[in-house]
Amino acid sequence: MKGNLFFILIVSLILSVSCRNSQKNSSGFVFPEDDSIPLGEAEKLSAEAIADISNNIASPVEIANLLQMLSVPYSPGYLASSINANRQPTDFDKALALGILGADLGYLNMYEKTATAINILSDIKKLAEGLKVGQFFDFEAIRRLSLNRSNLDSLLFLSIDSYTRIDKYLRDNGRGHLSALMIIGVWIEGQYLATQVIREYPHPVLRDRIGEQKIILNDLIMLAAPYCERDTEFRALCGYLQDMREKFRNVKITYSLGDPVSIEKDGGLVVEQTETSNVEMSDEQLAGLVEITGNIRNKLVLNN
Amino acid sequence: MMITACITAYGQSSELLVSNCVQNAGPDARYLKDFRIQLGKTDNPGEPRYKTQMSLWKNTKYRFSLCNSEDSEGLLYLNLKDDANKMVLSSLDPETGKTYAFIDFICNKSGIYQLSFDFTGGLKGSGVGVVSMIK
Repeated sequence: MKGNLFFILIVSLILSVSCRNSQKNSSGFVFPEDDSIPLGEAEKLSAEAIADISNNIASPVEIANLLQMLSVPYSPGYLASSINANRQPTDFDKALALGILGADLGYLNMYEKTATAINILSDIKKLAEGLKVGQFFDFEAIRRLSLNRSNLDSLLFLSIDSYTRIDKYLRDNGRGHLSALMIIGVWIEGQYLATQVIREYPHPVLRDRIGEQKIILNDLIMLAAPYCERDTEFRALCGYLQDMREKFRNVKITYSLGDPVSIEKDGGLVVEQTETSNVEMSDEQLAGLVEITGNIRNKLVLNN
Repeated sequence: MMITACITAYGQSSELLVSNCVQNAGPDARYLKDFRIQLGKTDNPGEPRYKTQMSLWKNTKYRFSLCNSEDSEGLLYLNLKDDANKMVLSSLDPETGKTYAFIDFICNKSGIYQLSFDFTGGLKGSGVGVVSMIK
């Protein structure tokens, strides 16, 4: 009898776990309800969880790579050229601008626009020094690599690594709000780049990438949540993120199931995923995202 | 002072290891991120101990390169799981014990993935996992 009960318990447990997983796969990605991530909960985010959110932001290098794959030409018009590093009165402004310019630097590096990249590096240097994190940037090495076009990968490594170190240092030293701003700045500028490009180059792959950012936005809201009442600047930024969330609300991300396929090649392994994600987004929804991203990004850049 | 010297020496060798691993990812690879792992021996090897996350995006080919420091007793391996906790790939073949130094992953599902690293047999080691995009 005891054996039967134990068997039933195990079977019920297995069924409940597998049902939960299959439901996740079939229903697609949805935002948690507002009250499921109360401020108090967000405040309890562990250092590891915050580091994970930082890792989850799509690298601007990936977005620039996607644009290159789609044969989108470089345009200086997408850059946040109105940011003046000398006129950033608060740490809020400096950290946000550091994130925005970091995304621009990734875009410039991928397109090998060295002269502009060096100008932006000079602004990044001033901002980083203003936040007392200039020690994490080896500006001379980055500048040298920018001039030497044959070494793009080392340049990307040094640039991204510098930002990673700054982010970690800020978090480890009680300045997590500045780390959050930097991360949000990188994301908004990357999304701005993608939404500007799609106005001229309406490629479905780029369209999907814009819609897929719904996956990340909730994390960013969680990241900013502990600081939303810190001051008026943070309050406004949190409001902007909520406005974006509303525009994403009816964008659907669904999944179709499949098992990965692996083959050995050149001593390594090549794995192709057959499971796919699909974005369902109307033209109107896309236009809404293009508009709100542009408005928010321009407010943030012009405020600077 | 000796401890400081040791930490500095490890820091320098770790930087060199990362730098070499990035360079060896291949001319078609574009650096995205690295994870530096240093673990002691465990008596209960099982689930990989170093866990982190990153977002991976559809229509992108990623390369995960795994590099070991010379003094590692085990070999670094990686398991990748999707947000439904489904295993997508492993650089360790559990049947043969073979490890792959790199894995190319053709991603068709955007989302947040869990990366878990450990050294074979739960042995001690230090190494780096570099994530790149393939052009």
